[in-house]
Amino acid sequence: MADDPNHVINATLGSVYKLILAIPGSNIALTYIKTAYQHDPFRIVLELFLVFFALKYMLSKKYKPHDNAVKLTEKEVDDLVEEWQPEPLVPTLSSFDKFNLKNSQQINGPQSVKPKVADHSKPLMNLATTNYLNLVSSEQIRTKAIETLKNYGVGSCGPPGFYGTIDVHMDLEHDIAQFLGTEQAIIYAQGFSTISSVIPAFSKRGDLLVVDEGVNFAVQKGVQISRSNVRWFKHNDMDDLERVLEDIRTEDHRKRLTRRFIVTEGLFANQGDIAPLDKLLDLKKKFKYRLILDESQSIGVLGSRGAGLTDLFNVPATSVDMIVGSMANALCASGGFCAGNEEVVDHQRLAGSAYCFSASIPAMLAVSASQAISIILNQPSLLAELNDRARSFRVVLANKSLEPLVDIHVGDIESPSPFFHIRAKLSFLRSRLRDYETEFSREDEEQLLQDVVDECAYQGVLTTRAKYVYDQERACPRPSIKIHVTIGLSKKENDKAAGIIKAAIIKSFNKWKK
Amino acid sequence: MTSTLQVPTIEIQGANPRRDSPRTRPRTFSLSSLVGKTRRAYSVSSAYPPKIHPALALPVPKSSGDHSLSVRDHVFGDVWTDPRQSLCSPASNLTPAQRRNSVAAASRRYEDFEQKMEAAPLFVLVSTYLNYLVLILFGHLRDILGKVFKRKKYAHLRTNEGYAPLVSDFDSFYTRRMYLRIRDCWNRPITGVPTRKTMILERKTTDFNETFSLTGRKIEAINFASYNYLGFAQNTGPCADAVQDAVREYGISTANSRLEAGTSDLHVQLERKTAQFVGKEDAIIVSMGFATNSTTIPALVNKGCLIISDELNHSSIVFGARLSGASIRVFKHNNMVDLRELLREVISQGQPRTHRPWKKIMIIVEGLYSMEGSIVNLPELIRLKREFKFYLYIDEAHSIGALGENGGGVCDFYGISPKHVDLLMGTFTKSFGAAGGYIAGDKTVIDHLRVRNHAFCYAETMSIPITQQVLTSLSIIRGEEGTNDGRDRIQKLADNSRYFSAKLRALGFIVYGDEGSPVIPLLLFNPAKISAFSREALKRGIALCVVGYPATPIISSRARFCVSSSHTREDLDDALEKISEIGDILMLKFKETSS
Repeated sequence: MADDPNHVINATLGSVYKLILAIPGSNIALTYIKTAYQHDPFRIVLELFLVFFALKYMLSKKYKPHDNAVKLTEKEVDDLVEEWQPEPLVPTLSSFDKFNLKNSQQINGPQSVKPKVADHSKPLMNLATTNYLNLVSSEQIRTKAIETLKNYGVGSCGPPGFYGTIDVHMDLEHDIAQFLGTEQAIIYAQGFSTISSVIPAFSKRGDLLVVDEGVNFAVQKGVQISRSNVRWFKHNDMDDLERVLEDIRTEDHRKRLTRRFIVTEGLFANQGDIAPLDKLLDLKKKFKYRLILDESQSIGVLGSRGAGLTDLFNVPATSVDMIVGSMANALCASGGFCAGNEEVVDHQRLAGSAYCFSASIPAMLAVSASQAISIILNQPSLLAELNDRARSFRVVLANKSLEPLVDIHVGDIESPSPFFHIRAKLSFLRSRLRDYETEFSREDEEQLLQDVVDECAYQGVLTTRAKYVYDQERACPRPSIKIHVTIGLSKKENDKAAGIIKAAIIKSFNKWKK
Repeated sequence: MTSTLQVPTIEIQGANPRRDSPRTRPRTFSLSSLVGKTRRAYSVSSAYPPKIHPALALPVPKSSGDHSLSVRDHVFGDVWTDPRQSLCSPASNLTPAQRRNSVAAASRRYEDFEQKMEAAPLFVLVSTYLNYLVLILFGHLRDILGKVFKRKKYAHLRTNEGYAPLVSDFDSFYTRRMYLRIRDCWNRPITGVPTRKTMILERKTTDFNETFSLTGRKIEAINFASYNYLGFAQNTGPCADAVQDAVREYGISTANSRLEAGTSDLHVQLERKTAQFVGKEDAIIVSMGFATNSTTIPALVNKGCLIISDELNHSSIVFGARLSGASIRVFKHNNMVDLRELLREVISQGQPRTHRPWKKIMIIVEGLYSMEGSIVNLPELIRLKREFKFYLYIDEAHSIGALGENGGGVCDFYGISPKHVDLLMGTFTKSFGAAGGYIAGDKTVIDHLRVRNHAFCYAETMSIPITQQVLTSLSIIRGEEGTNDGRDRIQKLADNSRYFSAKLRALGFIVYGDEGSPVIPLLLFNPAKISAFSREALKRGIALCVVGYPATPIISSRARFCVSSSHTREDLDDALEKISEIGDILMLKFKETSS
């Protein structure tokens, strides 16, 4: 038969071959392929295998992250869309939320040691703010700020990368580095956002964070957003820290070395106690970790120069890898900083998201912070005075009559911390349970403390309960009244205020649930 | 009064919106379509904001959570159009479906974006990729050789005495090998007020950008870098005076968080005023713009909720969304067709794996995108909102003050009642010349945020000078002082933006951005031109931002101009002349000039 299939194929191949030959230079290529295959049969096998593999790969099912999707018809999708009802954007306010909203004080007029508070006719003695060194009333800072206003205006109108770096920012960075004794420093526009930006700048997915359980909310959020592996150790318990570090060492015996950090706070906002820096440094060196220290509360109050925890323990600031602090607390300005060596600081200029993607801090506030630092440096007596006030305050509260009612964190008379928490004793709360109650609630406890706060205000002292975003804290600290001493109040006023608080506690606690 | 506010329409050939027909975007790329690209069916050209056509006015829901509106009736019943279409062109005869299509087809899609890149002059595309290829090859070569021959200098990239490198060489490759070469174009220090001119402190480097030192010389440059849209960066005038008085009386700080005795009467006053300004019931203020997003979003959504976010959303939104624990899906930039498909998919499929219905869906978009100059397609979003019942969160960081006849942001710009948007967030950094941000919404929502927002509970309050600056600038913008100053600023900004972008287009540059946007990106493409443009501009006394990968797609490096109401026409003309010169040197005029 003329159309024998073999014949047809041969004819087609023949004409294709001729076509290929018609391409100039194809002869050389063909000869090359021919000889290559003749000399190397192994190569044919390999290439055939590759062709099969490629085919198999192309025909295999593609991986899609959302591939457990249910197949629906258009009609079904329409119905489902129609049917779907969202929850309200926010739930209705709980009674506890309302209680918290109602009980946050508003200052009318300037913040000071004796501010006018809404709903109170007389000015109250202020124990509720971080105005430890009374810098909010400093004329020197105000004058400098106004001077700055006249040269720089208010806003910086841009992130640091885009012409938002003003010379006063560089001055402040220099001042901070010198104050602490580190190589360099970098400033952020908000104290709270600093640490939650610093942690993820260094610690990425796969890295390891060993974190104190008592750290404040900002640190918790930084840890969360870094997506690193996290191990927690018991609050300020160095034995437990060592145990955790030892555990990790045995666990990742042969794993690739990742970045590892110990994260803790200098002066704990939620407990009022101080991290044992000497032991931390020993452990850090022994196990080769880097230390991220949140000194938001301790800068400007701890140590003989006020330079924070490293000053208090008399170790060089360079021994801590990253010191993160706030200029909004004791310094009464605004913003935060991270101090460390050149590599640490430089890296953040591109990787610190709150630095890179936010407008830089207004010049006036940067200058205020610089001024605050120079005031603290030039008048070390302020710190001694603050210590003295804190001490005498604690002496008053160490009274026997308060012992069955409240705990003071930290109540140790020698503690250098200028603030402390007053928490109701569990034994007291249990003793006041009504017959039908088996456990007291957080609301009850907050209500009791609010009674104390109200009574204090009535007697002329402004205090506040510590406030939290209760449902987002990792382990919300127990309710407390947070007392900040200040040198703005004279020795006499200070003692008087302490006396009022003592009396208010006794009065409110005795009345409660009776 | 309104008649005096008519903006002169700038007639530029090839750059004029075609309002006569609903244009579907051509799928194939041509340079002319690129120039016409930003004309969307909803973009607004001359007098803005559009007045709402009475027939189109929406019934205003009592609260934004009110979904009682019948979806079917309204989706097709009334349609948002560019009012000038309905008032002065036959486009109003279109059927609603057609018009919607025209809106959708005109909005930017990623596919369009890619097509455009492919069809941008081929040599540009090829040379850009080649540029990167050479940079990457050389970078790796230097790394390899450096690690062998300069062990000391590369010590920080190796495991060192048992410590892993702080920054791994892979992560930092881009920084070390590309950014470092052109680092002098960023973080340039300035001094003085960042107003129409800015004073740059000259730096020099002796070690190829590793370190810089100040030379002590100052360079005055026309300022296209600062977000000083309404020109409130001032050291004199009513704002500065008011701030000075406030500092004298109140001091600087309130020394604690808002919930713990840090609330001042000024804060309360500003919150009330902000709420009035943006047209919501209540508002809260936060001391940092970045934190406004990053601390609010986790207070609104959590596990079981879905955040749908525009792909070009700001880093602070991404930060907040990640903190919240909610699922996150992303839609193509300002592409309502893609969003619609995504919405149908996510609502019908429910949560991943479990398929349970979402608790709530929140869409987060920006009003004005700071890298693109594009304005959100709000009318279409509102329509989708009524169909799909999601919550809408708009970040007006750049648009508040800068868009709309009253400076009221995108809602004002489109003439849409703010009641349709659940949460309006914005910053005071830009148009108000201050710092910080706000979130405005219904009373119940804001009260919820007052006890749940992280910054409100833990962070420092907005400091007194900042609060006062916003209070005063806000009352100027609203005309409460009895002057026309605010209006004039808004008008001037609109004029300047339109003039400047039209002129740039006419010069032959490829320019992004919707009409009316004070952010005007000019495309550079080649990475080498990033630094060249910035340095040449500085030489000629122009301060501007240049951006490249990773802030933009790898191919579309750009220079960005932020126009301000403080710029005079002479400033702009002067700058245009110099930019044209630079454009010739760097061969950036991709389009034939139309003259």
